[in-house]
This record gives sequence, C-alpha cells and structure tokens, in this order.
Amino acid sequence: MKKVKKILSFVIIMAVSVTLIACGGNSTKSQVGSNDSKTAENKTNSDNILKVQSDAEVSSMDPQIATDGSSFEAISAITEGLYSKDSSGTPILAMAKDVTKSEDGLTYTFILRDAKWSNGTSVTAKDFVFGWKRLVNPKTASEYSFIAGIAGIKNADAIAAGKISVDELGIKAIDDKTLEVKLDNPVPYFESLMSFPSFSPVNEEFYNKCGDKFASTADNILSNGPFKVSSYQPAATTVTLEKNPEYWDASSVKLDGITYQVIKESQQAILAYKNGDVDIAKLSGEQVEQFKNDSEFVNTLSGFLWYISPNQKVKGLENINLRKALALSYDKSAIVNNVLKDGSIEANFAIPKSLAIGPDRKDYRETTDSYLKTDKSKALEYWQKAKAELGVDTVKYKLLVDDTESAQNVAQFIQAEIQTTLPGVKIELEVMPKKNRSKKLLDGDFELGLTRWGPDYTDPMTYLDMWVTNNSNNYGFWSNSEYDKIIESSKKGNIALDAKARWESLKKAEGIVMDQAVIFPIYQKGDAVLIKSNIKGVEFKVASSTIYKNVTKN
Amino acid sequence: MKKYVLKRIIISILTLLAILLILFLMLEFMPGSPFNDEKLTPDQVALLNSRYGLDKPILVRFLNYIKNMITGDFGVSYNISKDTPISTLLQTRLLISIRIGGQAILIGTIVGLVLGIIAALKHNTIWDTMTTVISVIGVSLPSYVFALVLAYILAFKLALFPLLYSTSTPFQSSVLPTIALCMFTIATIARFTRTEMLEVLGSDYMLLAESKGVYGMHLIIRHQLRNALIPIITVLAPLVVGLMTGSLVIEKIFSIPGIGSLLVTAIQSNDYNVIITLSFIFSAMYIGIMLIVDILYGVIDPRIRLAKEDNHE
Repeated sequence: MKKVKKILSFVIIMAVSVTLIACGGNSTKSQVGSNDSKTAENKTNSDNILKVQSDAEVSSMDPQIATDGSSFEAISAITEGLYSKDSSGTPILAMAKDVTKSEDGLTYTFILRDAKWSNGTSVTAKDFVFGWKRLVNPKTASEYSFIAGIAGIKNADAIAAGKISVDELGIKAIDDKTLEVKLDNPVPYFESLMSFPSFSPVNEEFYNKCGDKFASTADNILSNGPFKVSSYQPAATTVTLEKNPEYWDASSVKLDGITYQVIKESQQAILAYKNGDVDIAKLSGEQVEQFKNDSEFVNTLSGFLWYISPNQKVKGLENINLRKALALSYDKSAIVNNVLKDGSIEANFAIPKSLAIGPDRKDYRETTDSYLKTDKSKALEYWQKAKAELGVDTVKYKLLVDDTESAQNVAQFIQAEIQTTLPGVKIELEVMPKKNRSKKLLDGDFELGLTRWGPDYTDPMTYLDMWVTNNSNNYGFWSNSEYDKIIESSKKGNIALDAKARWESLKKAEGIVMDQAVIFPIYQKGDAVLIKSNIKGVEFKVASSTIYKNVTKN
Repeated sequence: MKKYVLKRIIISILTLLAILLILFLMLEFMPGSPFNDEKLTPDQVALLNSRYGLDKPILVRFLNYIKNMITGDFGVSYNISKDTPISTLLQTRLLISIRIGGQAILIGTIVGLVLGIIAALKHNTIWDTMTTVISVIGVSLPSYVFALVLAYILAFKLALFPLLYSTSTPFQSSVLPTIALCMFTIATIARFTRTEMLEVLGSDYMLLAESKGVYGMHLIIRHQLRNALIPIITVLAPLVVGLMTGSLVIEKIFSIPGIGSLLVTAIQSNDYNVIITLSFIFSAMYIGIMLIVDILYGVIDPRIRLAKEDNHE
C-alpha cells in the first residue's frame, strides 16, 4: 500500500506542478464556448475595419519617444501635427488652419483650427508648446530630439544638449489658438517636417494625470487624429484603433477602424492575407515571384538608400581610382532584378527618387544626372590606375554586413562581382546584427560597410547633410571643404532663402559626392505589398508613414 | 532529506547569481549598446546612457540590479517598448508562454508515455513500428516545420483553428503551437519509455513478480513503469529547455505575444534589461525543474534517496 501511495503522490506532484504553472491561463478556458460565437460575430462586424500586417511591434505610442516605423505609422493615424501630407506628399494644413511666414523666413505664426482631443477638450497652442518642449528636454531623453534642430527651431540643439534652459525654445503660445515658432535659420522643408510625429501636440493636463503610464495603455493615450486607440499594450502583437468621432475632419474618414497585426513569418503573412485575417501584407523577395502578376500586387518605393561606405582612413581606400573601380564593378540591375526582386530600383545616385520636389515642381531626380552606373570595363581601367598609384597588385577588404537575409544575399553577390570584375581584389564578409554593425560604422572600426539611410524629411539635405566633415554619419571620414561650404550656405548662407539657387547647389553637392565615390550606391529599397482589391486610398510615402485616413473598404 | 533539499536550494540560488553575473559580462562585451542608432549624436548617446545609468561601471550596475531585483524591480525596456517596466511587459506575456509550454510538456509527457508503453508491450508489432516512425519524425523534424505544416493544413486549409494567436480566443489559439511544441517531447519520451520498459521487462524481478502471480495493469504500472521512470525523468529537464528554445520560433510563427518572441526581439535590439530578465527567468525555470527532478528521484526510488542522505549527513 505504501508504494501505491508513493506512486500516487508522484503522479499528483507531476500533475500539480505542471498545472500550477499553467493555471494562470486556465480561467480563460471556461470562456471557450462563448468565444467561438464571438469570433464569428467579429468576422461579420469587422467589415469596415482595415487590417494591416506589420513586421514589427509598435514599440511606443508616445509621439516624442517613438523611433521606429511601426510606431510612427500608428501614431500618425491617431495624432495630427500642424501639417499633414496629401497623396502626392505635399504638406497640407492640418491642426493649423492658417499660417503667416515672416519675410526672413525665421518666424511662423500659426492659427489653429477648432479641433478637439478624443476626450473632448480643445487642442490649443499650449499643447504644441508642451509637446515640443518635451521633445527637446534632456530629461525626456528623446532619441528624436535632433529633428527639432533639423527643423531649425530656435535653440533646439543647445537645449537638447543640456546647455540652456528648455524655456528658451523658439515656440510660444500667443493665445489659445495662436502659435508662434521662431527658427535659427530659414528651413525650406520646415512645413514638410511639421507632419513628423515627433512634432505632435501633447495635452499637458492629460499627460500629468497619466504620470508614468502616459501612452502605455489605451486609456492613457489621447488622440487628435482620424483614429483613436481602442486596445494597446506595450509591444503587443495586435493594436486596434477605432474611428475618432471628435476628429475635426471625421466626416471624411470612411473606415470604422484599423487593426495592426504583427506577423513576422512571411509564409504566415501570406496565409493570413488569403484567409482574410489581414487586408494588407508585405511580401518577402522570394514571394514576389509568385505574386507579381496578381492584380492585388503593389510595388511601392521607400526612401531607403542602400550603399557601401568605404573607410577612407583604411589604406588604399583613400585612392579615388580604387573607390571608383569598386563602385562601378558590380551589376546593380542584377541585384534588384535577381537578388532582391522586391521592387527595389538601381541606385545611380546619392539622393533617392521620389523623395523631394523642387521649386520647379519636379522630382529632384528628374532634373539631375545619374552617377556611378555599373561599367565593368571602366571599373577595370580605374583598378589598373589604382594599382599603379598604390604600387600593389592585390588588395583585401572586409565588408561589414547586417545579419538579415537580404543584406547578406546582396553582400555575397557584390563580393562575387567585385572579385570577378577586378582580379586581385579580395572581399571578405563580416556578418553581425544591425545594432553592432552600426556601432562599428559609427566608431570608424571597419573597412567597407554595407549600410542604409532613411530620410527624415523630404529634402535632399536629409542625405547631403550626412557627408559634411565630422558628421557622425560620415562613416568614411571623407572631407571636402568646397562641399562643406555648399552645404553650409544652403542651410544658413545667402542662398538659403533663394529656393532655385539652393536647389541647383544641392545638385552640385550631390555631384561632388558621387564623383568622389564617397559612397557606392547600390539600390533604393522597394516594398512589395498585397492589398485586397476592395481597399482603396492607402497612401504610401517615401519619406514618412503610410496614411490610412482616406482609405475606403467596400 | 530536508537538509539535502535545503542545500540544493542554496546551490540553485548561487548558480542563478553566477548566471546573472555572466549575463552582465556577456552583454558588456557584446559590441553595440541599446543606443547606437545611426541618427543619434554622441551627445544624445551620453545623455541616454546617463539617464539609464549605463555610464556607471559594470560592478556598480550589477549590484544595483540585484538590489532592485530583490524589490521586484527589473528595470525598464530601452527599445522594445520604451520606458515600460519589464514587469509590466511580462505580466501578460509570461502567462501565455507558460500556458503553452505547460500544455506542451503535459500532453507531450502523457502521450509519449502511452505511446512508449504501447510500443513496449506490443513489441515488434505494427504498433511498435508506428511508434518508432512517429518518434523518428518527431525527433528529426524541427518544431517550426511542424508549426508551418499545421498552420497550413489545420488553420488555413481546414480552418479548424486560428492561424494567428488571438487574445480573444486563447484556448483555440494555443492548440496548434502546443502540438508543434510537444512533438519533440512526445518523440523523446516515447523512445525512452519503450527502451526502458523493454529493458525492465527482461529483468529478474519482473520474472519474479510474474511468477508470484502479479499481472495486468498492476504489473505494468507498479513494477515495470516505475522502474522505467527514472531515466525518463532525467530527460524531462532537458526537454523543458528544448521547449523554451522551441518557443522562440513557435511564438514568432503564430505571432504569440509571449516571452519567447520577446527575447528574440530583445536580443536583436540590445534591450539589456529585457534580455537579462528573460534569460534569468529561463535559467530559473531550468534550475527549478532540475531541483524538482532531483527530489522526484528520491520519491520514486528510495535507493537514490538513501544514498544521497548517506552522502550529505
């Protein structure tokens, strides 16, 4: 009997220990039956809800804290700044209904529209003052505080660096509906930047009421945009938004809501799309082949430019002929058509296509040359010259690469191309996670680095600013005084206010970067997306978040 | 026995502390930091580091961390969910993962045992062969392959279960991940049970029991299975670890908001506090299970218990 008892006790211990750890979820088991009918109901009720697949979690709903694309996309759906963007990417008035700009381009006075937050209180100029001060306040430690400096807002950089008080920021609420913004220097893309989520207003009273919990749950998020949050948890795999009835332009919002569903596995994303679990799904490169003739297949161009940065402090890479040889030696069309296949385009430039519209109302790329187009025989000529100048027959460099599949595929292809085109050049790949790779680039601890840059605003300066002497993103330590002068004068100098002259000098600056092969451009990233045929009006943007405000679902 | 358990518990705590220190050191030597986005200026990086106390020497941070941990404060997330306390982040996630993991180990063990027993009793029959085939498939195919196949057939083609995890239907959503996760456990347990049962079957005491007239379930459970259990329990601990690592992939496939998928994201984004807390939880679970297994040995087999007591007293 004793033994039987012991066996029994063993079985009980086993059962209890396993069920104990599982008991947390048990309470939900009892609801299984009722849930069945609920899901069925949801399916029919969710007809007018847009379901979007996302490949990363929303990491923050706090407009001044968020840094990643998923978060910005969700925040753009629930908040509105002074401006938003129309379908062509041109800034249009949003929270502001009227603006006057001083002649010197240094003062903007905005009259705010009669808009309300989702809790019914009015959106006032004070909300903008509070939000912007929060952005640059070192106590907030916002990773995007630099964007206030880029917008040229007076004293923003000095405040962010902790040198002067946050009260010195060039923003003032003249009355409830009048907002005055002062700049350090005229910024031609100021209006375009104003739709960036970091410049969203924040209601101080609400913020103080939430305390630590601000923006962490649906109850602690206030919205002044087309949608408001109905369910959100930090880093959740689903986020649901519903139409915001308090939104000033609510009548033009046709959707009842948006659901973001995180799906990281690409096969699952396709199945969920076919299933109807999502209405919009991203495709990976391998899947494009299968769907490219589908009527629901859409290719969109993003503003990301992928390029190789040569470290000019590394022996040999200071030689312009070697840099040019490398930059011309790989077949870019094969990379976009055979390796990536996701709608990316060859990059024969330093400023992406469809990024910026000039004073002539034309896309920047339409009126500029293309540079560094693949030319293997020319590459070989440059390599011969470089060999003579450097007095070597062989060189060997390490190429630093992200550990993502697509980055590695591209790197392997380029490695093979360079080694066949330029006999004597050997390329080794060094693969590591992106965070570690970017740290090495920032530290200058690399030879060649495969990296990318995404635009922060719709002006060529978002790229060109990178290559001035001592900029921390000028990974390769290139320095050219003529270039520095051009950039400086287009930012603050005499041509800053002359839109046409400025545009021409930006083109010249790009020409210098390309002639010197400061970077080896590879491709401009495209995205392949499936969108259900009953969804209309999704606005993909090159330099900002996708806008869903005008989407209809039939 | 009490003294032995106490000693084991103390050793476990020390092991956990050592693990924590190693984790700290490993993160320290890993290139990169949570704040090295290309767009951050050096000023800002310094600001962020000082805000989160990352500018202090590693020893100070380690001691601070332990001090905070004792009070239940695991710090905040740097990247995955900015400034959210880890405890908030884990609140719902931990339960979801433990639930699916618990279901997988429970079902895996029971089904594995049953299969193993059948295979051993119906030795060299079609049942035995079938079990072996299942075992070989279960051991050799990684769980994510099962997950993808299950998702395609049961969720997409037949629409029996949801394709993705939904918090509104936690049970249905957990079925496919549980099956995918427990395949390896089923296969391993079945294989071990079969082998051990067969070995016991040929032993003298079984012959004796049979000749004494013990038969049927009584013979199988009390004499055969009990003796076969020791090695099976030994493999249970590593199997639980297998489940944890398996959950990293399975949670990603089914978009489960659990701790496995969280750990993957944390590692990719150098989110120190999340990595440390989750690794710590995984280690604590493993060590806890080892402890339980050790104690269970004693319960099942008095000889082990006695031997241990001799050693420690």
